Amino acid sequence: MTATTVLRESERDGTPASPRKLFQRGGRGDRMFDALTGTSGLLVLSIMVAVGVFLAVQAMPALRRTGFSFLTTAEWQPDRGQFGIAAVMLGTVLIAAVAVAAALPISMGTALFITEVAPRWLRATLVALVDLMAAVPSVVYGLWGAKLLQGNVIGISRWINRWLGWIPIFSVKGADPSSPLSSASVYTASTFIAGLVVAMMVMPIQCVVMREVFSQVPPGEREGAYALGSTRWGMIRVVALPFGRGGIIGGSMLGLGRALGETIAVLLIISPRFDMNFHILEAGGNSVSALIAGRYNESNGFGLSALMAAGLALFAVTLVVNFTASWFIARSRSGASSDA
Amino acid sequence: MKLRLVQLACAAVLVAATGSLAAPPRVQADTYQRISGSGSSWAANAIDAMRVNVKQFGITVDFNPNGSTAGRKDYLNGVVDFAASDIPFQFNPEDGSAPENPAAGSYAYIPVTAGGTAFMYNLKINGKRVTNLRLSGENVAKIFTGAITMWNDPAIVADNPGLTLPARTVVPVVRSDGSGSSAQFTAWMIKTHEPVWNNFCQRSGRAPACGFTSFYPTVQGMIAQQGDLGVAGYVSQNFAEGAIGYVNYSYALGSQFPVVKLLNAAGYYTEPTPEKVAVSLLKAQINTDASNPSLYLTQNLDGVYADTDPRNYQLSSYSYLIVPTIVQGQFNLEKGKTLGAFAYYAMCEAQQQSASLGYSPMPVNLVEASFDQIRKIPGVVVENVNIAQCQNPTFSADGTNTLAQNAAAPKSCDQQGPTQCPDGTAGMANVPTAINPSAQAPTATVPASGGATPTTVASGGATKTTTAPGAGGATGTTVVDPNNPNGVTDPNVTLPDGSPVVIEGVGTVTCIDPSACGATSPDGVATPQGALTAAPAVATMIADSSSTGTLGLELLVVFLTLGMVLGPAIAWRYFTERRS
Repeated sequence: MTATTVLRESERDGTPASPRKLFQRGGRGDRMFDALTGTSGLLVLSIMVAVGVFLAVQAMPALRRTGFSFLTTAEWQPDRGQFGIAAVMLGTVLIAAVAVAAALPISMGTALFITEVAPRWLRATLVALVDLMAAVPSVVYGLWGAKLLQGNVIGISRWINRWLGWIPIFSVKGADPSSPLSSASVYTASTFIAGLVVAMMVMPIQCVVMREVFSQVPPGEREGAYALGSTRWGMIRVVALPFGRGGIIGGSMLGLGRALGETIAVLLIISPRFDMNFHILEAGGNSVSALIAGRYNESNGFGLSALMAAGLALFAVTLVVNFTASWFIARSRSGASSDA
Repeated sequence: MKLRLVQLACAAVLVAATGSLAAPPRVQADTYQRISGSGSSWAANAIDAMRVNVKQFGITVDFNPNGSTAGRKDYLNGVVDFAASDIPFQFNPEDGSAPENPAAGSYAYIPVTAGGTAFMYNLKINGKRVTNLRLSGENVAKIFTGAITMWNDPAIVADNPGLTLPARTVVPVVRSDGSGSSAQFTAWMIKTHEPVWNNFCQRSGRAPACGFTSFYPTVQGMIAQQGDLGVAGYVSQNFAEGAIGYVNYSYALGSQFPVVKLLNAAGYYTEPTPEKVAVSLLKAQINTDASNPSLYLTQNLDGVYADTDPRNYQLSSYSYLIVPTIVQGQFNLEKGKTLGAFAYYAMCEAQQQSASLGYSPMPVNLVEASFDQIRKIPGVVVENVNIAQCQNPTFSADGTNTLAQNAAAPKSCDQQGPTQCPDGTAGMANVPTAINPSAQAPTATVPASGGATPTTVASGGATKTTTAPGAGGATGTTVVDPNNPNGVTDPNVTLPDGSPVVIEGVGTVTCIDPSACGATSPDGVATPQGALTAAPAVATMIADSSSTGTLGLELLVVFLTLGMVLGPAIAWRYFTERRS
């Protein structure tokens, strides 16, 4: 009897009681399952690290030769020792920026239309159509962009250049919007057109993430807004959009990640240039992935190493973008539900 | 309901499967392992026609026209069985790119086709396409180096007295990938307009000089595109008015666009038609040192640039296949057999078709030398090709190049001066361009100076010449004597004057008139030789069938696209409704 009391006393005097450690000796099946999932999780991580390490090792000869100037040189002649990613990285970012800027309104509008506005019978069709857009191979988009879109976008490019040409980014060297004889070629093969085509590819990804988020708006809040006399737009503005903010930002960032790496469509459209070209409407530009795809076939030894270095830079940028995306999504209210 | 659908689908699959099983097995004498190659997009139209035509013999050849540089690199890396390249391996590249070092004695060059690097342009005057533009070499060089930027530049106007050129910007379209066309073009510029080229190199950041290069430097205002197809595709777009790009002549034919008539050393503006290319390449110096395989059969085109024949087109050149001579990498004896059969076809029957595609057929000495080169491919089944049966339009009894001999002299209005011909070029040969009255001239053909008057070769009415005793049938004749390479030692493309082709064996028939040959050729069906001669007919049939029924095809495409877009949506809706 006393022994029991003493034991309790000593327990009370000691460190504050921590919750009992849960311990379960699972069966063989459980342990196998744990091992399996653990391994595949680790495998994904190690593949990721291996890709980075491989790129870094392959890129070493090139990086050692140029050093820090690799980031600042706007030229690509590896065999002459003059090469760097300044121009191509700028082009990559500009193309991705154009793509996201063009895709964001479309994907957000589509997502809202599907979840909030469209009649029930239309929803499935629209969802299927958007998914279908994601399934179209990028080379098809590239051909479509190069052969059809390019010729028809010139009017828009010219219009933007004419009215907004005073903004440096929209100015075009050698263009004269008022002269009917001026060459339309200065508006072709540009960052802007490449960006528009990439936007078509990015749009479905963004749309899927946003639709997922908007469809999870708590019905209580939604109906509450209606009950307080809100219109449909009012409900979207005060309930759906704030709830889905994380999804919108995250979806856009995911799209940005895809846009940064888009290759074949850019390769088919853009006319490669290796100078710092900020003018998005002007002919010529480049992206890291298009550079790699275009030059990979023709490079040996050192040239290949230089391409690997460019790939490493792109890898790093994409990682940063994707981590930022998941950080945004995780912080938001709707984040737990999103798979990004 | 769903179950029944699944059953239906299964049944459909089964039916399809049995249908394919029931299809008659392909009848073919030989089996060939599939081979792959990559390289020159300049020569791609010719090589593609060859690949399509050899399919009927069960020979499958994959070819990726990713540019000469990429083709050579793929070959060096062992990812293809053969390469196509407009220029040989670059052991000491002038442009600072990495040297290519194939193992000595591991490869051989086979000159596979000839053609002209043409300047395809998109230019309109008053909404009507110009089809007869003429340019001097200097102006071409200046256009592609950014020194001439407007179509109404006085220098261009001087070349075209008959045209009122618009004040439109010139948009040079060049190759963005490593390309044999760029290499040939820059080689020509270095030889003929070096200061213009070097000045441009310095401006484009490749000081002091970029030399002869496969990688064309670009500056702002130029458009760079991948492959000949990319360049031709860009130039032919409606929006690309004012654009001019360099491609093989065949691409201009295919896009139905005109090409520039280029001024030659004789003072005539010429278009790279197959005949003109054949004439021009008579002056090409072919390396005939068979002991040095890294140079054997390669070309030196300085003579072509300087040729004073009025029919010359300066940017004519040969394109090559690079074939392995040892078993290496993924290449084995089985593939050697396929490659050999393909190369035999390419050098013999395929040459008949060249001209219709926009290429120039190979002359007899290069065909013979190529047969020797083909023998070096490991695993090749040596064919004793009766060279007469190739029906190559350049062949003649006396070894001269018939095609070049018979090439017409340019019209007098094509001569440099105040007159200009209205006739269209290349893909728009039938569309003349109206010219200013002051530049009009009578369109009579004048005999060209320098003894280049068109001559006929088939003199004496001899349509067939039997050079060996006709013991037995005419099958199994040897055309090229491997011990006697005299036939190719001539630095010029033609054989030594009038000497007959070196022919051995029994019953060889050399003939000029193809129809006579066809009549005298022994058994046209049983031998593989006979089977091969059927190729052009099939090729023509294929070409015919593709040109008809375009409307039906368009409708099919429209319905397929609609079905692809709407089908899944409808199916999706159907299934989701059932489920809920």
